[in-house]
Amino acid sequence: MGAMADDLVQRIARFLRDPGAGRFEALTLEAFAFQVERIPAVRALAEARGALPGRVADWRQVPAVPALAFKRVELGLDSGGGEAETFRSSGTSGRARSVHRHAFPGLYRAAIDASFPRFCLPRPAPPGGVPMLSLIPPRADLPDSSLSFMVDYVLRRWGAPEASAYAFGAGRDGGSLDASAARRWAEARERDGRPGVVLATAFALAAWLDAPEASGERHRLPAGTVLFETGGFKGRGRELARPELLARVADRLGVPPDRVVREYGMTELTSQLYTDVLAGGDPELFVAPHWVRVRVLDPEGPSERLEEAPPGEPGLVAVFDLANLSSAVHLLTEDLGAIEPGGLRLLGRAAGAELRGCSLAAEEMMALRR
Amino acid sequence: MSQDRLTSLAERLNGPGADALAGLADGEILAAWDETVAAFLDPASPERREIQDGLVRSSRLSPEGLEAGLAAVLGGMRGEPATRLFAEAAALRPDRWPSGFALVVLSSNLPALAVQPLLPALAVRRPVLLKSPSAEPLFAPSFVRALVRRLPALEPAVAALTWPGGDVALEAPLLERAGVVLAYGDEEAVADLERRTAEAGGARFVAYGPKTSLAVIGRDAAGTGIGAAGENREDGGLARDIVVGLARDVALFDQRGCLSIAAVYLEGSEPAARDLADALAAELARLARKLPPGPADPPAAAAVQQLRAEADLRGLHRPRLEEAPGHSLPVGAGTVIVEPDPAFQSTPGLRTVRVHPVPDLHRLQQILAPWRRRLQGAALAGASAAALAPSLTDLGISRITSPGDLQHPDAPWHNGGVSPLTALIGG
Repeated sequence: MGAMADDLVQRIARFLRDPGAGRFEALTLEAFAFQVERIPAVRALAEARGALPGRVADWRQVPAVPALAFKRVELGLDSGGGEAETFRSSGTSGRARSVHRHAFPGLYRAAIDASFPRFCLPRPAPPGGVPMLSLIPPRADLPDSSLSFMVDYVLRRWGAPEASAYAFGAGRDGGSLDASAARRWAEARERDGRPGVVLATAFALAAWLDAPEASGERHRLPAGTVLFETGGFKGRGRELARPELLARVADRLGVPPDRVVREYGMTELTSQLYTDVLAGGDPELFVAPHWVRVRVLDPEGPSERLEEAPPGEPGLVAVFDLANLSSAVHLLTEDLGAIEPGGLRLLGRAAGAELRGCSLAAEEMMALRR
Repeated sequence: MSQDRLTSLAERLNGPGADALAGLADGEILAAWDETVAAFLDPASPERREIQDGLVRSSRLSPEGLEAGLAAVLGGMRGEPATRLFAEAAALRPDRWPSGFALVVLSSNLPALAVQPLLPALAVRRPVLLKSPSAEPLFAPSFVRALVRRLPALEPAVAALTWPGGDVALEAPLLERAGVVLAYGDEEAVADLERRTAEAGGARFVAYGPKTSLAVIGRDAAGTGIGAAGENREDGGLARDIVVGLARDVALFDQRGCLSIAAVYLEGSEPAARDLADALAAELARLARKLPPGPADPPAAAAVQQLRAEADLRGLHRPRLEEAPGHSLPVGAGTVIVEPDPAFQSTPGLRTVRVHPVPDLHRLQQILAPWRRRLQGAALAGASAAALAPSLTDLGISRITSPGDLQHPDAPWHNGGVSPLTALIGG
């Protein structure tokens, strides 16, 4: 990869660990210039937008790479023989899969190190590790899932080996729950009183709560237990409205809503945003770590450089993630959101290229599904 | 709205309504119909003024866009086409027309669609209940009121109401008593209604699901024409009326209709596609002033911005729509992208269109095959494009015209390949 690349990666990694170890603004411009030099698609976008390094004085002026492009375009650095990972999105809802060739998985681990404990681990951290139950398949089942990469790392890094387990495997129709394993883990926590962390997608969580084998089960997980929730339902199965999901989690597992941490991440990014509920934050607002900036851009604007939407107004979520050095530090997501005083509120997805014609408006389609 | 009210209505339609319709002559119905359509085409009429503001809001079109849209939908539903439809109906053995009212479940994306099933129903003397979507509850009831005012004998035979879609209990008495159900909507909603119709007793069911359209321009359509900047060209630039027509077929209804063009296939090279894209973008920019876009739906606008950025990242040709040099138009004015990959894709709307260069138009049937039965219309220019008409019809395309005419179907148009009369009476 080269000494320059290694040096930049190291400096970004130090900044992730310690916000005093660098300046965000300076690092963003270096990272952008690095990508323009080495990733042809990023260079093409910068040229098309008249925003090559040298003409860009601020990270907000860096052209945002559309998440859509990860489905069609090679958007990753060649690691030059170094450690690298290739992540693919789940390809649910009938859409093409994003491919993210991650040349710096060390930055991914550094991002997790610098954010997961703060937002997700019980405090104080228990000696010997935290009991963890994952309803997210292990990497062995889904080697190209960035979420499975993260969860494997989290369990190795902070999980109590003798008290941690996986209870969801990859498979058809979104995967398969091992309800017995989940029950054994929960019963063990009820016996030993150790607060743990349950990591789950909303889909897997609902699968556990709905499982016939779990019918009638109610657990009182120890006070301090955290539920890490991510991923949503993604077009699979019956979707539960959020209030209903939280109510069922409280009733069936004994985990109150203020212990449910939501994570916002995606295959195309490296870092994650979280709701800061363990610190008393708003359970619906996502907070970014110090090396990430989130903006909401007005999608209706005429300009080739989208302007920021006024606070509280909906728009397209754009994320500047310094840890995403190997592909696109500035990403235009396919999500809609609004910036509020405490963080980012997610509002849904941008429309796909759905057929219209004689079809219903999107609002009516949603209404019919409720 | 209650089950009892709908039950009474259904029984009225099937009893006195059917009797009333049977006693009316074609000429009486057509006269009242033509007057009513004329009233809704006239912005100064009391009928239009009553619903104008609400219709602009609910349709999410600009006032100019609504005007053009109403002209497109209503224009072909009166006069000679309407008379022709009634003549076709008369030839279909009226003594064998089945009974039971027609339940028409409308969608909300285009205003005035109610007239398309309503006129044929009157032609075959089938009482009609039009269910308007909650998002657009104005046009159908207003039109029915105006029609009945002009022909009071119709009163027991036609009705237009709104209630939340998918209400199983509310809709059950209707499905049990209807003779035919016409459903406009997305696949999930239509499938659900079809299932419940079958369970209720099996009225005839006709689905008008989501579809899209395209244009095909043959190499021989080029000739002495106009370039993107309006200059005369002797080198084979595309004729201006073709570009103007294509832009109109993209822009009308802000591209929300099943006859709205999502892609243009140009027989030729990529440079020719770039020229066409430039001319099309310039015309869409001009149309943005004459036919301004309505307020953009944020999710659709977001999806268009993704497409634009992806096109730029891939180095695709994407001419900018500008109202003046350096001043871009809003996202709803349109987006034109030259896409070398010939695979057909629908778009998020907001006047977004891909131009695909295709060296050989004979490949088109294979290219479009995955979209069989999901394509509605094709605007063709040039002899080599026109020669494709039979194969496009095989793909399920129901309307083939020159550019600019696509979104002006007339009364006998076979939406989805189904005769509007056969949809109602079977056979």
